[in-house]
Parts: sequence; C-alpha cells; structure tokens
Amino acid sequence: MKVTLNWLKDFVDISYSPDQLAQKLTMAGLEVEDYFAVNRSFKGVKIGKIIDCTPIEDTDHLTSCLVDIGDGRVNVVCGAPNTKKGLVAPIALVGARLEKVEITSRRIKGIESEGMLCSEVELGLSERAEELMELPSDTPVGLDFERFLGEPDYVFDVFITPNRADCQSVIGIARVIASISGRQLRRPPVPWREQDISGNNPVQVIIKNSNRCARYSGRFIENIRIKASPFWLVERLFNVGVRSINNVVDITNYIMMETGQPLHAFDYKLLQGDKIIVRTALKDERFTTLDEKEHILNEHALLICDTVKPVALAGVMGGLNSEVQPETSTVFLESAYFEPVGIRKTAKELDIFTESSRRFERGVDPNGTVYAMNRAAQMMIDLADGHIIGKAVDNYARKINPVNIDLNIERVNRLLGTKRSMQDIAKILTSIEIDVVKSNHDMLSVNVPTFRPDITRPVDLIEEVAINLGYDYIPTNTVACINQLQTPNLKDKFRDFMRGLLVALGLRETVSINLMPDKYAEYFLPEKTGLVQIINPLSADLAALRPDIMSSLLTIISYNRNRQNDTCRFFQIGNVAWKTEAYVEKTHVAGILAGKRTESTWFGKEETFDFYDIKGLAMSLLGKLGIVDLTLKKNTVGFWDSSSVAVFSGKEYLGCMGKLNDQACRLAKIKINDVFAFNFDFDQLFRFARIDKKFESISKYPSVPFDLAIVVDNDVPVAQIEKFIWSAAGSDLIQVKIFDYYTGDQIGAGKKSIGFSLTFSSKERTLDESSVEQSIKNILAHLNRDCGAELRPR
Amino acid sequence: MTILENAQKILEQINETKDNFQLALKSVKSKNDLESVRLMFLSKKGEIQRLFSVLGKLGPTDRPVVGAELNAFRAAAQSDFELVQQSLLTAEKIKDFDVTLPGRMPIVGSLHPLFQVLDEIKIIFTEMGFRVEQGPEIESDFYNFEALNIPEYHPSRDMQDTFYLPDGYVLRTHTSPVQIRTMENQKPPVRMIAPGKCFRKDTPDATHSPIFHQVEGLCVDKGVSFADLKGIVQAFAQKLFGQEMRVRFRPSFFPFTEPSAEYDFSCIFCKGNGCKVCKKTGWLEISGAGMVDPAVFGFVNYDPDVYSGYAFGMGVERIAMLKYGIHDIRIFYENDTRFLNQF
Ligand SMILES: [Zn+2]
Repeated sequence: MKVTLNWLKDFVDISYSPDQLAQKLTMAGLEVEDYFAVNRSFKGVKIGKIIDCTPIEDTDHLTSCLVDIGDGRVNVVCGAPNTKKGLVAPIALVGARLEKVEITSRRIKGIESEGMLCSEVELGLSERAEELMELPSDTPVGLDFERFLGEPDYVFDVFITPNRADCQSVIGIARVIASISGRQLRRPPVPWREQDISGNNPVQVIIKNSNRCARYSGRFIENIRIKASPFWLVERLFNVGVRSINNVVDITNYIMMETGQPLHAFDYKLLQGDKIIVRTALKDERFTTLDEKEHILNEHALLICDTVKPVALAGVMGGLNSEVQPETSTVFLESAYFEPVGIRKTAKELDIFTESSRRFERGVDPNGTVYAMNRAAQMMIDLADGHIIGKAVDNYARKINPVNIDLNIERVNRLLGTKRSMQDIAKILTSIEIDVVKSNHDMLSVNVPTFRPDITRPVDLIEEVAINLGYDYIPTNTVACINQLQTPNLKDKFRDFMRGLLVALGLRETVSINLMPDKYAEYFLPEKTGLVQIINPLSADLAALRPDIMSSLLTIISYNRNRQNDTCRFFQIGNVAWKTEAYVEKTHVAGILAGKRTESTWFGKEETFDFYDIKGLAMSLLGKLGIVDLTLKKNTVGFWDSSSVAVFSGKEYLGCMGKLNDQACRLAKIKINDVFAFNFDFDQLFRFARIDKKFESISKYPSVPFDLAIVVDNDVPVAQIEKFIWSAAGSDLIQVKIFDYYTGDQIGAGKKSIGFSLTFSSKERTLDESSVEQSIKNILAHLNRDCGAELRPR
Repeated sequence: MTILENAQKILEQINETKDNFQLALKSVKSKNDLESVRLMFLSKKGEIQRLFSVLGKLGPTDRPVVGAELNAFRAAAQSDFELVQQSLLTAEKIKDFDVTLPGRMPIVGSLHPLFQVLDEIKIIFTEMGFRVEQGPEIESDFYNFEALNIPEYHPSRDMQDTFYLPDGYVLRTHTSPVQIRTMENQKPPVRMIAPGKCFRKDTPDATHSPIFHQVEGLCVDKGVSFADLKGIVQAFAQKLFGQEMRVRFRPSFFPFTEPSAEYDFSCIFCKGNGCKVCKKTGWLEISGAGMVDPAVFGFVNYDPDVYSGYAFGMGVERIAMLKYGIHDIRIFYENDTRFLNQF
C-alpha cells in the first residue's frame, strides 16, 4: 500500500527523515519496499494567465492564446477544450523539459508557439489529460510552478502483511508511527453532531443475514454538484495509485485510503422504494457491476438491494444500475462492515479483487463505519456543495465488541526468552491502544480494540509485545540444551553416499525444473498411468510433472549440444510422478552419457561412448552399493532402444540401462542419438543395498594367474560361459577377467574367441601347478560339454 | 732386477693407472671426452691392454697374482665407464623431455553448486542436533495449508502462488508440510530440518523460478523461546559465512508462526557498510522465521501449554547466489557444463 509523508503528517507529527521513517516502519513490521520523492522537476514551468484567446481557422479545436507570464507575454497554440480568457494555468516555456517532451519554439498552422499550456498528465501530476490544469484565479502570475505546489512529498510503498488489517489506511500507519515515536495520533473531528441534524432518515436498512453483514450505516447528501476534484485531492490520490474520476467518487476513495473503511456512493434517484435490503444472492442470479461485466452469482455472494433489484455486490463492487453519474444530485453513502471470509469467497469465485474487497477480506473496524461515513459527508459538503438530509441510518445488527484476553506475564517471558516486568508489558500494550482493564499477580486482563481483528489470543498479544519491544531487544541465546540421542536419517545419508559414488564415477550432478509440456511428458509415462497435470500452469511448457527423470536429462543433453558442449556425463537424483487411482511419486537415480568417452589427445585417438560404458558405470554403482544377484533382461519399455536391458536383483526390478531410442532423442531435439543411460528406482536401491561392509581376509600366499582362450559359437553369451567357469573351477578361483574378444576370419563364421584371464589363490596354502592344471582341465571339459567350447588353437 | 721387484713394479703401475683412469673419468663432460678415455684406457692400444702385455714377462708364481689384480681392475674400469656413459645418455634424453605437455587427465565428476550449498547447510544443522526429514512434492491441501493454519478463504493464501492439482492436491509451496508429518509421528522433543524442492507459480526471471529449494527447520520442546530462535539463526549465519556475521530480525507475518519474523544477514559484500547488492542498507534479506503458532500444535495434538517451538526457513538458491556471486537464478537449472565445470 502506498502512503505519502504529507498525508501521514495530517495525523501525526513526524520528525524522522524519509530514510529514518522507512527504517523505523520496516523494523515495526511494516516493510517499506520502496520510497521516493514525488518527481517535481518543473524547471521552466511558470504560472501563466490567458489574456487573449482566438480559435484558429480550419481547425476544430486549436486556439491561439496570448499568455501573461509575469515578466512578459508569449503566444502559444493550444489544443485543450477549456482555454478561455482569464484562465490561470501552468505554462512550460521554451527550454523546459517535462517528463515526456522538451519544449521548443514551433510554428503551427502558420502561428508561432512559444511554449505549452499544461494539463496535469503533461506535468506527471495525475492522469487527467484532456483539460488544462485550472489554477485558482488569484494565483500569482509568473510564479515558478514548483513554488506554487509547496513542500515536496514522499511516497512510501509499504508491504502490508495479511494480518495487519489495521494498517490498510493512512491513519493506521500513522497510528504505528505515533506509537514508535511516542507521539499522539490526531483524528480530525467531524464538525457537527448527529443530534443536531434534523429530519429522519428516508430509508430503512434490513439486514437478512447478520452473520454476513454485522453493520450497515448510510447517509443522504443532496444538492450535490458532480465536478472535477481540486488539484490537491487528485494529486494525493495519484501519488498513492488511485485514478481521479469525479469529486464524489474521489472522496469515497480518499476516505477509504485515509480510514481503511471502504465506502460506496449510490445515485439515490436510481434506487427504488424506501428500503435497503442486505441479502445473499440466489443461485444463478445475474448482476452487472459498474465495470459493465455481468456475473452469474451463487449463494455465497452478498447483495445490497433496493426494493426491486440488487444495486451492489456487497464489499466488492457497486452496480452499473446505480452508480454516480455526471447529473447525480442526491447521493446515498454506504459504510458497512461485511464479514471477511464471505467477501473473500465472492472475490475469489468471481475473480474481482478491488481495493474494497481487499480491505473487507482482511477485516475493517466494525466500530469505525460512522466516523468514516461522516468524514466523507463533510468532504462532500466542502467539495461538492452537498447538504446532509436527515439523520444517518445505522443498522448494527450484530454488535462486535472488543475482545477480552487474559495474559500471563510469565508466559510472555518464557516464549520470548525475556525478563520483562508486568509494568513494562502493560505500558507497551497501552501504547498501541490496547486497554489494560485489570492486573493482578502475574496476569493482565486487556481489551483489544476492534480495529485489530488479528489479536484474539494471548500469543497474539505476545507478538505485539515483541514487536513493540523491538526484536533487537530480545536476547540471542546460542547455548541450547539439545537431545544427544538423535538418530540419523539413513535414507538421506544413503542418498548422499550415492551422490559421492556417482561423482567418483565421473558424472556431474544436475538439477531440473521438473515441469514440462504435456506432449513431451506423455512419451515418458509408464504404461497404464496418467500424467500429473497442473490445473493452473504458468504456461503450456510447464504444465505437467515429469513422469521419468530421463525426460529431464535428455533436455539437459539437448541444451548443452546446442552450445557445443558435446561430451556430457550427468546424473540426477530427483522425484517423478504419475497418476493411477492415486498420485504416485517416486525418486529416480539416473546417469547419462553422450558424445566422446575420450577426446583426441597427443597420446591417443578419440573414442565414442557405447553400451559398455553405461553398463560399466551402472555395475560399478550397484557393486559399490553391495547389491548382488543381478540379472539383466532384454528391455522393451517405452523410450529405451531395443538394445537396452532391464536390471533385476533376484526377482526385484531395479531399473533399466542402455541406449535411448531415436524417438526420445528426437522429442528432446537431440540430432544424433549417441545417448546411453541408466535409471534406477531410488527406494529399490535403498532396499537392496548392503553398505554395512564386513572385512574379508586377504590370502597370505601368492596367487597363480592362468590365461585361457576358447572358441565358442556366437550365440553363447559370455555371462553364461563365465558361470560355467566358476562352477567347474573349484574353490580356488578368485577372479575371472576377459582380456580378449574376437570374431572374424581367423576362427571362421559363427564363432567367437574369448580370452579369459583367471586368477587362482588359496588362503590356506601355496597352490601347486598340478592343482591349477586340474582346475583348467575341469573347466575345459565342462565348457566343451555344456556349450561346445574348444581351446583356441595357437 | 729380480722377478719380485718386477711384479712389484707392475702392481705400482696398475695402481697409478687406476688413479689416472678415475681422474680422467671424473673430468668427462661430453661424448668426446668419454671416447678419449676409452681410447686411452680401454681400447686395444690403451693402458690396460698394455699392462696385460707386460704380464708375459713375469715368473709363474707372480703371474696369476698380478693377472687377477689386473683382471679385476679391467672389469671395474669397464663398469665405471658404462655408468658414466649411461648418465651421459640420460642427461641427453632429459634435455629433450617436454614437461609442459598436458598430463593424462582422469575423468572427474562434480556436485551441483546448489547441492554443495545445501550439503553445507545440512552439515551445519546436523552438527547442531537437527535430523534431516524428507516429504513428498505432491502434497494435499491439508498438509500444505490447512494444518499450517492457512484456511482456504484466508488472504494469507495470496502470499504463495500455488500450482493446483486435481482432487485437492497441490505442488508443495514450501517444505513446511514435512514439519507437520514429522510432528504427527513423533512426540517432542523434535529437532529437524526439511530440505527439498518447492513450487511457486512465479514467472521465471532473474530472481524467480517456478521451482526452488528450501530448507525449513523446526525445534519443539519445553521452554523453547524466541531467544533460542535468534541464537540458532545467528549460529547458522556465522558457521556459513564467518564469525563477523550479524543477524537482524524484523517483524513479519506467517500464518504458522506467532510471533513471526523476517531475518536478514549483514551484507557479505560490504560487511554491512552499504553497497549496491544490499541497496545501501547493509543487510541482505534471507528468509522468515518465528515461534510455532499454537494453532499448528492443535493439528498435531501437541499441548501448547506445555510445549513451544521455533521454525525457520531459507531459500537455498538465494544463499548459493550470494555465496557464488550468481545474478540469474535460471542458470542453476540449465546445467550448462561450462557452468558445472566451475564448481
Ligand atoms: Zn552491501
């Protein structure tokens, strides 16, 4: 909310500099987001008086004006409709620089123009654009415009948190300043008393639902003359972001900004009958608000009606059928208290948020309706020639009283960590207009004024004590007594352990915005599941939650490829989601490789990634996690290439690895598919990991190496041969490695040659040659029998 | 001249040649020097060979004794010569060896800078006795709002622009729901932090992102006070940015805390003197904190007359941006290798 310094000064004396004030307000919980001097750079702008004025032929609105500027006269051509002899207005002379234009001497329709008579918009003072800014006729001609405007004002943009309903007004903020600076708040009195007004009120207010409308006050003002507001009013409203409409509407807005009480002015001639009825809307009842939008209402909406029709959407916006017109002469002024939640519901459901609804939904002061209404009435007398007729209407259907709270002083000190006396605390509360009605032992009994609807419990009072004490004056305790028996979160530790492993394996950690377009996400969905779609996405590009982490990693590859970062080794641990009957959220661990395993160097040629790179990575990871009994099965799922595999531990599915398919790459806009990846379910890894290791003793005796090259049919998988070797070798075999793999002419079609490097070792003895030879014999016999393998001829 | 005298004389000559040879070898500086030594001592016309030719003139008793001596000398001379020859060769090789060629670089991975900061935050708080807790990103309206004292039709809902999902679910706007889940399952004392990804409907720009990472902390026990909250935040600030850090608390509002505060760190760039980054205030806004609202305890069946607690939050991106001098939040999620390589 914006307020200006001079406006605040109407209600409280302020000796702080603008810098200090911003600081003080911020530390009092009213965060000043910005503050600035109202721009008044009016060099070269003076007060001028039109002494002669002639329309220019062949134009529909231009006039040639001779203007007295005190120390001389200038001629200007002007397009405003209100030029007339004797008009006093600001004039920008040649050389003046205004916000948008620099004034130069020009020739228009053959007539010399030596300056510009200004409207308020040209001076950056308001949005009023059509007419010249008309100044009082006794304004000294030739005076610098800047001096005419008087003391420069400052605008403070204050962030009002939703609880501070009381600070949605200039008086509210002034009250806070009064309390922090120890000064008195001044509330301008209304210069008449209700009992002195003769005549009864001409309408009766009927409140059908007092839960929704606790109080409805109203007042008639007749003899109104609708016209433009005086400049000071327009400027103040403009500085706090309110556009000037006409004097009556401006007054209701001005008093709302000042007191926080929203007001509405009806044209009384457009109200039918002698009753104002406050009732909830019927289902599907139609109503057109003054912005000319028709709304279809439900029972949540509250309506202000005359005897035949609704005339306002209570607390939100007036109706088009009863708004103040240029010819309005009698005004019915409404000042009411509507219940916050109801207003909030209506504003949300109809998506109309107004200055009025914003205040009602936070809570206005039910006991402040009459004061605000009378302030506005007085301004209508002063600025619109109005006359009050009859006494005010005031239906206070459900009285809202100050809340009484008992506050335990020990509890204040315990929660804040302070040692304040009861007197201290009572003084603080009194300074913010909270009445201390009783005190005994360590209890204070207080009444909270109704302009503070946020204070209903002892803890709310404790907060007020803390704020007004100043958070800086609460001690800082760094000696905490803590429970030493805090067990660590093993799953989180496991996650970090795995991140360490993946980094050691040469991968870079990434993080993604896991929102993506529906079309893209759909491709990565598991079978028979649905996307998790956001009802109110920021854009179509961020509409669905990712169903698989691979969708994010492919995007990262694509992003890097477009920037010539060709070689990519990434991993990511993050959540994915889809929908079956319920929402399913899982954590994935994935690694991805694309591009070159090694670049060209001075000692070697470049090499590109293949299946065995990703397999090596995945297997190293699973190995380090102690996940055993691994089997690989051909994978046919979704976005994986047919050469990829699914990984199981026993019968439990862990995830997939291998190449991604071309379609997935195409969707991610990756031109060349050289992308290999693995993707595991985090919870499955956590379930099967055995990272609590046990030491296994190392043999003291030398080991015996033995190289064995065999030839076998192409369709026998290496893993199977390895299995045979292990089962035939006996217990002294401790390692099997493959040092050679060959297919080609030397051994003939349909065959492959594999070189195994075997290591034998025993923990009990030095192995002799004969026992190793026996093992080799067994292996060869076994291999020959079970898969037709032969020793490769030398 | 007797035979004995002769043998004696030859032995003396051998010793003299030994000394000469060692002297000559020591003064070798180049291949040419080495060749002269070889010619002078080890060649067929060299000194050692000449001594062998005299051997025939000795009697049968002396000949084997002197012969053995001479053979030993020749072997030692040959070996010493080769050592010098070898070192000459090595020196020559080293002269051509270019140490400035790049080494064979091992492939190294890296942790994302955001998570490096998150890890640091986690370590600081676990050292201070906080347990790490995790929760889902898809949350029910109840956990994300209701149980945190944010009723459906309350203006405080406007403080967080929310992504809504069908059936009363949302993408969590903060990790505070994890606090509720933890308190539901655990009696006090509770001392936890909840790090994780959060979602807000913020249009992406240099300082906003629809996702971000948050760490929220919670401590509930008997007699926990606002002074304790100030202490923990101050300790965190000093552990993260150094002993000279100061912390400022300002009043604010959150539906789930009362009293509520915003906390600021003294500007790490100007040490609190005022600069462009801190907009001349000397303070950097970090995040919010406060004492747990009794209404929240109501939702998890903690007795607010017995227990009190504090909660605090922080944005990991915000801290990482300050720490590394990053000005655009979006760079974290691009994962450009030229960015990741720097950390
Ligand atoms: Zn600074």
